[in-house]
Amino acid sequence: MITITKLSKVFRTEELETKALSEISLTINQGDFVSIMGPSGSGKSTLLNIVGLLDSASSGSYKLLDQEMVGLKEKQKSQARKENIGFIFQNFNLIDELSVFDNIELPLIYSNVPSAERKSRVNEMAKILGIAHRLKHFPQQLSGGQQQRVAVARALINNPKIILADEPTGNLDSRNGNEVMELLTDLHASGSTILMVTHSDYDASFSQKTIFMKDGAILSEKVNHRNVDVLVNSNY
Amino acid sequence: MLKNWTNIFIYHIRNNKFFTVLNILGLSIGIAGLIFAILYWNDEHAYDKWNPEKDKIYNVMNDFGGGNIWTTNSPIPGRMLKETTSYLEQYCYYRPYYTKETIQYNGKIELVDKIFSAERSFFSFFPFEFIQGNAKTAFSDRNSMVLSKETATRIFKNENPIGKQVKYADRIFVVRGVYKLPEKSSVMPAVVTPVVEEELEKNKENWGFNYGLMLKLKKQSDTTAVIQNLDKIFLEDNYKKQAKAEGLSLEQFIKQYGDPIKSRLLPLSRARLFQGNYAFPEKNGNLQFLKIVMGLSILILILSIVNYINMATANAIKRAKEVGVRKIIGASKSQIIAQFVFETTLMTLFSVLLAMVIVELSLPFYNSFLEKNLVLIGAQFYFQLIVVFFAVILVSGVFPAVYISNFETLKVLKGNFSRSKNGVWIRNGMLVLQFSIATLFIIGSFIVYKQVNFMMEKDLGFNGSQVMDISFKPQKGKNQYERYKAIKQELLKIKGVEGVSAGMFSIGSNENSWQGLHYKANKEVITQQLPMDFGQLNLLGIKILKGRDLNPELATDSISSALLNETAAKTLMVKDPVNQDITFGGQKFKVVGIVKNFHYIGLEYNVAPMIFFHIKAFDWMTNDMRNITVKISPDQMPETIAAIDKFWKSKVDQEYPFEYDFVDKNFARTYKKYQDQRNLFALLNVVVILIAVFGLFALASFSMERRLREIAIRKTLGAETNTLLKELSKQYVVFCIIGFLIGIVPAYLLMQKWLENFASRIEIPILPFLAAFVSLLFLTLTIVLAKAYQVTKVDVLRYLKYE
Repeated sequence: MITITKLSKVFRTEELETKALSEISLTINQGDFVSIMGPSGSGKSTLLNIVGLLDSASSGSYKLLDQEMVGLKEKQKSQARKENIGFIFQNFNLIDELSVFDNIELPLIYSNVPSAERKSRVNEMAKILGIAHRLKHFPQQLSGGQQQRVAVARALINNPKIILADEPTGNLDSRNGNEVMELLTDLHASGSTILMVTHSDYDASFSQKTIFMKDGAILSEKVNHRNVDVLVNSNY
Repeated sequence: MLKNWTNIFIYHIRNNKFFTVLNILGLSIGIAGLIFAILYWNDEHAYDKWNPEKDKIYNVMNDFGGGNIWTTNSPIPGRMLKETTSYLEQYCYYRPYYTKETIQYNGKIELVDKIFSAERSFFSFFPFEFIQGNAKTAFSDRNSMVLSKETATRIFKNENPIGKQVKYADRIFVVRGVYKLPEKSSVMPAVVTPVVEEELEKNKENWGFNYGLMLKLKKQSDTTAVIQNLDKIFLEDNYKKQAKAEGLSLEQFIKQYGDPIKSRLLPLSRARLFQGNYAFPEKNGNLQFLKIVMGLSILILILSIVNYINMATANAIKRAKEVGVRKIIGASKSQIIAQFVFETTLMTLFSVLLAMVIVELSLPFYNSFLEKNLVLIGAQFYFQLIVVFFAVILVSGVFPAVYISNFETLKVLKGNFSRSKNGVWIRNGMLVLQFSIATLFIIGSFIVYKQVNFMMEKDLGFNGSQVMDISFKPQKGKNQYERYKAIKQELLKIKGVEGVSAGMFSIGSNENSWQGLHYKANKEVITQQLPMDFGQLNLLGIKILKGRDLNPELATDSISSALLNETAAKTLMVKDPVNQDITFGGQKFKVVGIVKNFHYIGLEYNVAPMIFFHIKAFDWMTNDMRNITVKISPDQMPETIAAIDKFWKSKVDQEYPFEYDFVDKNFARTYKKYQDQRNLFALLNVVVILIAVFGLFALASFSMERRLREIAIRKTLGAETNTLLKELSKQYVVFCIIGFLIGIVPAYLLMQKWLENFASRIEIPILPFLAAFVSLLFLTLTIVLAKAYQVTKVDVLRYLKYE
């Protein structure tokens, strides 16, 4: 699904050249749940941003669904992003001025989904994520965990090929954090591809594979074996 | 999608009620101003549109050289042009003014204004729609009269007016038609008669320029040929004949009398807004004022749009996160632009609606100010309104929208964007622009105020506050001068009357009459003649600099003595003009005195050369008297006036009502339009300052609130309020000064141009510039410091914990 070969990202200022990523190669297959760990400045967020098409690489190749993404124009990137990628952020990034329903609905609007279908899909998604009773509320009226559920709902509403999560539990207490991780595990179990950046070993242990990064390079990879009771949701 | 956009739009309105209201209010005031200007513009441009012949009709004007362009003509060229060339379909002579006279029917007297007289061809030039009778038979003989519908109803009530006899100008006329007036026309008479034809007949060989002349050309392309022929007619029939009579060659004659008159053609479609003498009795629109109103209202609209853009871009920072999120989940750039243009569209829609309400409510005041009858209807107006609507959206909406859509997604989401410098230069540039416009307005209105005051306080060279100028209508079979002599004796008996005299002129009015003044071999000087009775100059408080006034004791003084004003005296080019012999209007005069210059027409003009002599110096003049001047004592003025009124109605004129005006008030009318401009400027000044103040306040609020965290940190570190205030307001003072410096250049140039209207004018003083600077700075400091003080009182903990 994702093939990254010799991908580099260089930040240049007048005097300094910093390599945020140096010749990284990585493959993520359909249905994988991969987490990236590493200290601050190791380049994990940069990698996630490039994968999410929010940032562009300096050299190398990034293939999403066998299509080269490096060197694409902004408009094409935007199109690829809209069709394939769902984001979950540490700070949720919900629009405070819009209700929960409106927030979740947004991606569908930008994909020109007709109104009636939008409504049913949002309701369905909200039911799955257990926030159906919160649809009329505004983000500020929800707990952190609930906000992140809304963000997840928004990320999933368009059936993205891959979900990118940037420290999804970073702003949550352990109970809510756990809930979110379980949610991601559920999604994985039902077939979603997930790439997650995290600081937490515990969170990483939910994934199949953990990649350790340092100074812009991949240090090691580890396959996790963890048995979680997974309740496969038949609706999804 | 619209629902989503609307939701977020409503959310922002709810949370920014105050600024939203101010924003809409500012924009609607700007739009209202433009609507006012457009209504005025349309009204002035609507003249003669109805006339199907307008493209073929031209008024003949005569250029006497030296900027003297007259719209009046001699009876000769029209006739000769028709006889000798084939360019004309028709020509028509008319009186270029209305008269106000009485019309009697069945013994009932009606005083009717706007009585007009033209040759029979008039109705093919102005094809009014006839309700009764028709254009062909309307003027079947010289005693015909045609009435407007309103006049007919007034005189005849429910009777059928056709064929009825009325008494007008001591003659019997037969009503032969009733027409409906078009909405806007250069001629909109209440009554039309062909009486001017008799005068034309009598003067058919006379080269006096007394009548309006319209030509209807067969082809528009013939204008050049027509002008050439008119010039030729003047040269052949006037100059060559005169030269021959004086025994001069044409070259010698031209040397002495100046170049022959050049004809010009003024198309009817441009007559209303022609700047110069008026060609038609409805007179000209004030093109300059129209342009000023239009220009100023566009400036105000720009000012309010600038406000809007400032608010929108400042607000956008608050909405950066929303935009970032939208982009990540798939919004394209054009969708973001569309969303923000959509918001502007709604705001503009509200503003236009509010503007319509403002206009509708204040239209009566505007109408009485312009002396017009404007209404908020018309397809043309609504079309223009839609254009304005889209133009406002385009300017105020697209720019911020594009700016917002260019936010870099990653930066926005990483935070800290709300305190970035993004867009700050645009907003500061706009702020400087606002300061410049405000400078322009403050300086402009101050200088206009000074000039108008200067005119009102200027020593005009006469003293008219106690002098009544009474209109004196002729009566059939009686000599005006003889009547006047009898009336004078009676008036002098009335208590409070200090003096009675007369002149064939009326200060401050449009009445003027000119002839050539000759002195030795000097070039002819076209000089304004002011025939008068003894004592007139003294009565009006006009000073004599040298020599003496006309003296009733000296027999020659009523025949061959004259006074010149300073301007005319200068044209003789001799050291002492007194006792020189001159020729004026073909008669010899001896100059007995020099009159100090006084203003006769408005202060826009220099004092013209003038000659004063006794009415009886020219035989034909004694019957053309139309004014009597009476000086009354300042005590018990109302009683004196009442007594004169009573005497006048019983002994002088039973028909025509007693009409008078004080000479100073009469003159004040010449600068009324400038007083209007002053008032308009003052009003707009208030509006502009309000909008600018609001813009400054909004912008300062936004940029200071963005710095709340910074302020909180500074305070924790021990910054004192004073230091903070200085820090916060410094930049606005700088912008104020830059804006002021940019603003003074156009202000100076525009005011210089405006002052060029006036022959008597002030020089541009320094004071308005200082005043503008001080008041702008004061306003800026008040607003900015007030806001800054409020900001420095923030709860430190709240902002330190945040984020």
